[in-house]
Amino acid sequence: MDYQSLANANTWSAIAPEIALGLLALGLLVLEIVLPRAHHRLIPRAALVGQLALLAGLLFTISRDAGFHGASFGGLLVHSGIGDAFRVFFLLTSTLVTWMGIGALERQTLPRVEFFHIVLVVTGAMMLLVQSHHFVMLFVALETVTVGFYILVSYFRSSTSLEAGLKYLILGALSSAMLTFGIVLLYGVAGNKALPGASANALGFDALHTFLTLNAGNTVAIIGMILVLCGVAFKVGAVPFQIWIPDVYQGASTPITAFLAVGSKAAGFGVLLNLVTQVFPVGDSVLRHGLVFVAGATILFGNLAALTQRNTKRLMGLSGVSHAGYLLLGVTAATYPAAKWASGAVVFYLFVYMAASMAVFGVLSHLAKTDDAGLETDEFVDLGKRSPLLGGVLAVGLGSLAGIPPLAGFIGKVLLFIAAFQAGLYGLLGVAIAGVILSIYYYFGWIKMALFEFTRVVPREPGALELEIRAMPLGGRVTLAVLGLATLVLGFFQGPVSQWLNFG
Amino acid sequence: MLSPELLALLLLAVPLTSALLIAFFFRRAGTIAQVLSVGAAGAIALIAGHLIFRMGDAAVSVPWLTLGDFSLSLGFLINPLSKVMLGVVAFVGFLIHVFALGYMKGDTSIARFFGCMSFFMFSMLGIVLADNLAMLFIFWELVGVSSYLLIGYYLERPSAVAASNKAFITNRVGDFGFLIGIAWAWMQFKTLNLTEISAQIAADPSLALTGIALLLFCGAVGKSGQMPLHVWLPDAMEGPTPVSALIHAATMVAAGIYLLCRIHFMMTADALNVVLIVGVTTALYAGVCAVTQKDIKKILAYSTVSQLGYMVAAFALGTMYAAKHPEHAGHAALTVGAAAAMFHLTTHAFFKALLFLGAGSIIHGCHHEQNIFKMGGIAKKMPVTFVTFTAGYVALIGFPWVSGFWSKDTILYLAGQVSPVAEKFLLAGALLTAFYMTRLWVTVFWDRPKSDHSDHAHESPMVMLVPLLVLAVLAIVGGANLVYQPPLDALVNSLPHPDAATHHRLLVTSAVIVALGFVGGRLLYGWGAANDRLETSIRPLHALLVGVQRCFDVAYNWYVANVQQRVAELLGFLEHLLISGLVVRGSAAVAGVLGIAAKSLQTGNIHGYVYWFLGGLLAFWFLAFGF
Repeated sequence: MDYQSLANANTWSAIAPEIALGLLALGLLVLEIVLPRAHHRLIPRAALVGQLALLAGLLFTISRDAGFHGASFGGLLVHSGIGDAFRVFFLLTSTLVTWMGIGALERQTLPRVEFFHIVLVVTGAMMLLVQSHHFVMLFVALETVTVGFYILVSYFRSSTSLEAGLKYLILGALSSAMLTFGIVLLYGVAGNKALPGASANALGFDALHTFLTLNAGNTVAIIGMILVLCGVAFKVGAVPFQIWIPDVYQGASTPITAFLAVGSKAAGFGVLLNLVTQVFPVGDSVLRHGLVFVAGATILFGNLAALTQRNTKRLMGLSGVSHAGYLLLGVTAATYPAAKWASGAVVFYLFVYMAASMAVFGVLSHLAKTDDAGLETDEFVDLGKRSPLLGGVLAVGLGSLAGIPPLAGFIGKVLLFIAAFQAGLYGLLGVAIAGVILSIYYYFGWIKMALFEFTRVVPREPGALELEIRAMPLGGRVTLAVLGLATLVLGFFQGPVSQWLNFG
Repeated sequence: MLSPELLALLLLAVPLTSALLIAFFFRRAGTIAQVLSVGAAGAIALIAGHLIFRMGDAAVSVPWLTLGDFSLSLGFLINPLSKVMLGVVAFVGFLIHVFALGYMKGDTSIARFFGCMSFFMFSMLGIVLADNLAMLFIFWELVGVSSYLLIGYYLERPSAVAASNKAFITNRVGDFGFLIGIAWAWMQFKTLNLTEISAQIAADPSLALTGIALLLFCGAVGKSGQMPLHVWLPDAMEGPTPVSALIHAATMVAAGIYLLCRIHFMMTADALNVVLIVGVTTALYAGVCAVTQKDIKKILAYSTVSQLGYMVAAFALGTMYAAKHPEHAGHAALTVGAAAAMFHLTTHAFFKALLFLGAGSIIHGCHHEQNIFKMGGIAKKMPVTFVTFTAGYVALIGFPWVSGFWSKDTILYLAGQVSPVAEKFLLAGALLTAFYMTRLWVTVFWDRPKSDHSDHAHESPMVMLVPLLVLAVLAIVGGANLVYQPPLDALVNSLPHPDAATHHRLLVTSAVIVALGFVGGRLLYGWGAANDRLETSIRPLHALLVGVQRCFDVAYNWYVANVQQRVAELLGFLEHLLISGLVVRGSAAVAGVLGIAAKSLQTGNIHGYVYWFLGGLLAFWFLAFGF
C-alpha cells in the first residue's frame, strides 16, 4: 500500500469527537495564557461546558444515525455502534470527573488547568483505544492513556499520592512491557511466510485474526495472545494483576480514583471485547479456560478482600475488582455463539456501573478531607440525617452496586448472568452469585452506617470528631440527584438504552 | 363519560391517596389528616351513591401478572350484590368517620388513626369490587392488616397489642384454608374470575366441589368470627370504639358473609349443611357468652358474633330454600340465600354500628368507663344517646316492625321452611339476645349512677350525635321497602313472602320471644343493679356460662403452650444448630477468614507486587502448556 492510497483512506470526519476533545484540551491551555489570572477559575467551567456541548452533539449524531461507521485511516480504526456507545460513555465519565475535579482542586493549592487538560487528552485517547483495529494504534492510544494517568495519580503530590503514582508507574510499565512483548511475538509469528495465512500487515486485526484462526495450536501465537491479554488484564484489574488497585486508588485524589475505576476499566473492557470477539479465535481453547478462571478468581478475590475493608476508597477499589469479575463473566459469555449479545450486556453494565460508582465517588469527593486519603466507613455515621441528599444518593449508588432490585445494578447483573447461563457457564455463574451475596455484606454495612441510627451499638461520645459536611453548590446537588435518579429509572425502564446497546 | 369502572377505580384511588398522603406527609398533622380522611369518606359516599343509583352493572378485567398459563387479573364486578355491600360500606363508613372526629378528639396520634381508617376503606372497597378470587384475597389480607393496625392502636396497652396479634393470627388460620381453596379452585376451573366460574358451573353443576366450597368458607369463618375461630372478635374491642363499629361490627366482619354470597354458585348441598351448622351454633353460642359479660363493648361484640351466625345461617337456609322451591328461585339479580343474608347484614350494619357508636358515646361521656355495672342513670345524663341507643336496642332484639324484626324474621321463616331444628336454635338465640340486651339496657341507663364516672357523665358533642341520629332512624325504618330504591330493591324483592297465617304466627312468636327475654332481664336486674345478679344469685349457672365462654380460649392456650410451642422450640433449636450455626455463621466465618487472608496480601510493597505479576504470568504459562 503506497503512501497516497493510505492518505486517501484518512477519514478525518470519522474521528471528529476525538479531534474536538483534543482542541478543547488545547483551548484550555490557550485560555490560561490569554485570560487574566483573576478569571482562571472559569477555565474548568469552560471545560465542563465544552464537554457537555460535545456530548449533546455526539448524542444528536447517534440519534440521527449520522455517524461514520466502518474502517478509517487505512484500517487503523474501525467505527461501529459499540464504539459510539463507548464514546458517549467516556465523555460522560470525563464530564463527571471534571465536575468532581473542580470541587477537589478548590481545596488544594495546585495548578489547575493541566489537570483538566490531561483528563480531556486521556478521554480522547480512550475513545481511540476502544475503536482501534490495529495493534500499533492500540499501543499508542493505550500508552497515551497510561502516561496521562501516571501524571494524574500523583497530581496532588502528597506522600500517598506520589507513592501511588510511583507504584502505578512501575506496574504500568511492567504491564506495558508484557503487552508489547506479546504484540511483538504475534507480529513475528504472523509474519513468518512459512506459516499459512502469514501477512505483511500482521498487526492489523483482520489479518491477524485470519492467521490465528489458521494456526490455532501455534505455541508462539498462544504466548503472544496470553501476554497481550495479561497487559489488558492489568488495565481492568483482573486477578492476578489487581494487586496495585487498593494502594493506587487510595493514593490518588478521589476524582482520579473515579476516573481509574470507571474510565480506565471501561477502556480495558472495550479493548478486551474487541480482542476476544474479533481478533483472538477464543473458541474452545486455552484462552477460554484462562478467561473463566480469571473471572471466577477476580469475583472471589475482590469480594473477599473487600469484606474486612474499612477505608472507603480501598473498599471501592476492591469491590471494583469484583465488578471487573462480573464484566469478565459477560466478556467470556460473549465468546460463545449462543450469547453473542453479551457484548451489549457488558456495555449496559458499564453504564450502570458508571452511574452508581460516580454517585458514590461524587459523595466521597465532596466529603473528602484535605489529604483525600479516603474516609473510614465509620465516619459516615448519621450522614443520612445530616444531609438527606448525600445519604440518599450514596445508598442508591451502593445499593445498585450490590445489585438490589429495583435499582439498575440488579438489571445489569441479571443480563450478564442470563448471558452466562445461555453460554453454559454454570460453575462461574455459581461463583458470581456467591460473590454478589458476599458483596451485600460490605455494601450494606456502609449503608447501615450512613443511614440507620439504631444499628449503632456504642453511642458516640459527644466530643467525637464529626465529619465536616460542606455546603454543596446547586449544580453539584443536581448532578448527584440525576445520577441517583438515573440509577433508579434504569432499574425500572431500560427500553431505549437496551435497544441502543443491542449489538448482537 | 363516567363509566362504572372509572368510578370503581376512583373509589379505590380516593381512600388510598388519603392514606398515602397521611402516611408520608401528615403523620404529625392531626387536623389535616382528619380533614383528608373524613373528606375521602365523604367522597366515597358520593361516588358510591352515583355508582349505585345512576350506573348499570359492569364487569371489567385487565391482566396484571402472567406466568405461563397462570394469570392474575385485576377487575371489577359490579352487580346488585356488590352495590348493596358498597352502599353499606360507603354510607355507614362515612357516618363513623364523622363520629370519630368527636370521639378521637384530643388523642395524641390522631393522624395514625385516620390514616389507618382510610387504608381500611381502600381495602374494604377492594373486597367489595373485586371480580376474582385472587384480587379478593389480596384485599382480604389488606383489611386484615388495617384491622390489626387499628385494634393495636393504643400501642402502650399490652392488652391491645395482644388482641391485635390474636386477631391477626386467628385470621391466618382461616385464610390458610381460604388460600388453599383458591388454589384448588384454580386447578378445577383454570380461572379465578367469578363470572367465568359461575358460567362453568351453570353449564356443568358437577364441577362444584364440596371441598373447594368449604375451604373458601374457612376464610369467612375467620373473618366473620364464626366458631371455632370467633375468639379474636371480642378481644378486638381493645381498639378505639369507632373502629369496633366500622370494622368489627358493620363492614369487615361482614365481609365473610359477602364472600359467601359472592361465591354462592360454588356451594354444594353438603357444604351448605356445614355452613348452616356453623352459623346456627355460632348464633346460639355467642348469645350464651354475651350473658355473662360486664364490659359494654364485649357484650356488643358477642352479640355481633351471634348476629353474624344468623347471617351465615341465613345464607345457607335461603340457598336451601331456593333449591327446594325453584318457583321462588329469587329475583334474577340476587338469590334467596344472598338476599336473606345481605338483608340482615344491612340492617345489622345500621343498628350494630348505632349500638357501638352509642356505646362509644357513653364511654366518652363516662371518661372511658366500660363496665356496665359501674354506669347507671345514663338516660338522664345523656338523653340523645339514650334515645338513639334504645332505637338500636329494639332493632337488635327484633321488636316487631323495627328493622331487625324484618330481617330476623325472614331468617326464621326460611328456617321454618327448611330446617325446624335450626329454627328452634335460632329462636333460642333470639331469646338470649332479648335477655342480654335488656340486661345491658336497664343496667346502663336506669337507676342511679354507680360510680363517679357515670355521675359526671355528660352528653357528647353534636359531631357524634348527628351520626347517631341518622343511624337511629335507619335502625327503626331500615326494614321498610321504601329504603331500598332500585336497584337495591332486589334485596327485598328476592325474598319469599310468607302467607298471612305464617306471617301472623311469626309475628306472635317474635313478640313472645322478645317479651320473654325482656321480662327475664327485668326480673333478674330490675331497673338496674350494682353487680351482676346472675353471678350473685345463681352462682353455679353463672360459673357454667363463664366456663362455656372461656373453653375455647383455654383449649387454644393449652394447645399453643403445650403443642405448638414445643414444636416451635424444636424447630428453633434445629435452626440455631443447622441453619444459623452451620450454614450462616459457618460460611460467614469461612468468608471472614478468607477476607483477612486476601487483605493481608496487600502488603504495600512494590517488590511483592511485581512478583504477583510474574507469578500470574507463570500461572498462565502452566495453564496453557502444563508443567
